[in-house]
Amino acid sequence: MEPLEPDELSDRELDGLLEQWRGPEAPDRLRAAIFPKSARSKWRSFWGTSIRIPLPVACTIGVVLAFGAWRLPRAAPPSVVTRTVRVEVPAPRETVVTRTVYHCQPGRAAVLQRLQPVTELQPRIIRGAANEE
Amino acid sequence: MTPLEAFDLYHGAVFRFVYRLTASEDLAEDVTQDCFLAFMRVPARFDEARGTVKTYLFSIARNLVFKRWRDNREPETLDGCEAAAPDPSANWEISSAVAAAVGALPALQQEALILFEYEGFTLEEIAEIAGTDAGTVKSRLYRARTRLRRDLAPYRSIGNTNGTIGA
Repeated sequence: MEPLEPDELSDRELDGLLEQWRGPEAPDRLRAAIFPKSARSKWRSFWGTSIRIPLPVACTIGVVLAFGAWRLPRAAPPSVVTRTVRVEVPAPRETVVTRTVYHCQPGRAAVLQRLQPVTELQPRIIRGAANEE
Repeated sequence: MTPLEAFDLYHGAVFRFVYRLTASEDLAEDVTQDCFLAFMRVPARFDEARGTVKTYLFSIARNLVFKRWRDNREPETLDGCEAAAPDPSANWEISSAVAAAVGALPALQQEALILFEYEGFTLEEIAEIAGTDAGTVKSRLYRARTRLRRDLAPYRSIGNTNGTIGA
């Protein structure tokens, strides 16, 4: 290594001076500028997302869809296939309900008919019961 | 490594590197943004066998800076013409004087010095970033330090006191 001239810094002095130069911090807006989708909601990013498809693939898909749309109305009706399948159906259970009906007897009914409310109240006071005691 | 992880790890270093090369915060922001966007657009271009994500990002950033310099025709040459050294007679902060002295270096020496001294890259990593060999990087670094030893010599005593330089 060449000897240093008197008017030159040593490596140590130079390193000391170089350390004094501090650069600024990167601004926070850089992240938002580079990753704008991270701030969006998932739905917004879903509707805003696009995919790149090679032109031949897009053309093929278009032709297939167009052919399908043209072919669909003319499609043959589906053939009917009859199959017998045994299916067990649960049978309803019979239930027996017993009901008792009471009929009034003829003699008893006649007695009850005479028990009618009076039309005119005629109270009769019976004396002598207290005197007998 | 995803672009987001790479951003979290290295965007500060890339920004500082570009700022030290260009002395412009706006330009550093633009270049850092372009650098990560380029990485995101074509991540397959990164080849693990050729280096790390960090060196890859720094190489993108330096290429963007050099392209802008070429487009704007500044500085005059990349490795030849030397700009004027800082004037020690003016009132300068040490930081500004060092920035001016480094900025006065030819661009390739400047790049090698910043990557080595401030970002801690090895000679091999710098060679990978700059697209050259380690011997060339070592030579650029030696010339840069030799010139800085001379240009910053007037600030020798002041550097220890961490103050400003008066006339």
